[in-house]
Amino acid sequence: MEITGQIFQDALFAAIAAIGFAAISRPPRSAYLYCALIAAAGHSLRFILTNTLPFVNILPASLTAAFTIGVLAVLVSAKAKFPAETCLFPALLPMIPGIYAYRTFGGLALCVLAQSQADFSKYLTLFAYNGIMCSGILLCLVLGATLPIFIFKKISFQATR
Amino acid sequence: MKTPLISEGSEPSTDELALFLSRYSAWLLGAGATCMRLEKNVSRIAGAFGRRVEVTITPRHIHLSLWTEGEPGAMTTIASAIHKGISFNLNTELSKLSWEIADGKIDFVEAAARFRDYTMNDSQNKWFVLIAVSCANASFCRLFGGDLTAMAIVFIATLAGYYLKMLMSGHGADTRLMAVACSFVSSVLGASGQLFGLGTTPDVAIGTSVLYLVPGIPFINSFSDMLYRYYLCAFSRFMDALILTCCLSLGLCAGMLLMNAGMF
Repeated sequence: MEITGQIFQDALFAAIAAIGFAAISRPPRSAYLYCALIAAAGHSLRFILTNTLPFVNILPASLTAAFTIGVLAVLVSAKAKFPAETCLFPALLPMIPGIYAYRTFGGLALCVLAQSQADFSKYLTLFAYNGIMCSGILLCLVLGATLPIFIFKKISFQATR
Repeated sequence: MKTPLISEGSEPSTDELALFLSRYSAWLLGAGATCMRLEKNVSRIAGAFGRRVEVTITPRHIHLSLWTEGEPGAMTTIASAIHKGISFNLNTELSKLSWEIADGKIDFVEAAARFRDYTMNDSQNKWFVLIAVSCANASFCRLFGGDLTAMAIVFIATLAGYYLKMLMSGHGADTRLMAVACSFVSSVLGASGQLFGLGTTPDVAIGTSVLYLVPGIPFINSFSDMLYRYYLCAFSRFMDALILTCCLSLGLCAGMLLMNAGMF
């Protein structure tokens, strides 16, 4: 019961985040609802994968969630008559590894400011770990989300017809 | 030779069509369309008028050559990308326009009028965006495990930072300078939880207070262009996004140093 509540909460906040971040990139008004629903589905799927299956880490979970988002966005785009990217990109935004990105540069900055070799090694490790995770998640997200556009090319590029 | 799908009376000359396509692609690139979509849309419009087109997309310019099959000579144009912010609404309308031309639903004169209309009237209520972004970042804070106090702090930090971004954007400030200034303001406000001992997750509040500035769409666009082998644009978009991330990290680090807040 507790995990169900957490999944619902994850989906709800991912939907709000998708609507807000979508607003920055000026989507058509009708796209907001689709962005929210698709983001909720994708983000909660990643939450389920990382929290219920101990052998799945964030990288394959992100890939699977992004692929799901991509498929949903392509299917929705054909119905709603807008390019798949209109829903796809804002729905992916709540999964962008922002924390990893800022910690990467934070680690780099602290490397520069380090007073001892031990501190330098510690921050270099944090810089490398966060940088690798950030790039890996980003690559998984884009690969997973773009694959459906490749697979359903005809639907994707004729959606606005 | 392909039969033109438009009415004969409004058949544009090659020069007119090339200039139209040049402006069309400049707006579409600036609106954040992927290179693949841009090339497909432009080819679709040119094909509807019985012309062929080759497009070279560079990070700041679009080089376009238009000609009629079997006839000597070609019209070549170079246009600078028009960067008025990412707009999926414009992206959608311009993509629809390309299909309406290709399907013969509108003629060239009507297409040019609609194009002007779409590009002139692509706006959004800035106060709605301000509130929506603040709510989104507060939700983001929750997704990273922040409590209600942290969410409230992030909401206020984002509200202030994004408002500053709107002000600076109105004055035509450099986007990199905006990223430094806005992340500095947001991180200083975000660190208030740690400074005054508010809530149980002040570290999450600081970390997420600047995430609304992460250039997510350029990052995704760059990888998308890379998958379609538009390496030059992919690299350019990636570098733009990376530099903006560097700038926001710089502002964040400065804010945290000022507030004596720890990052790790």
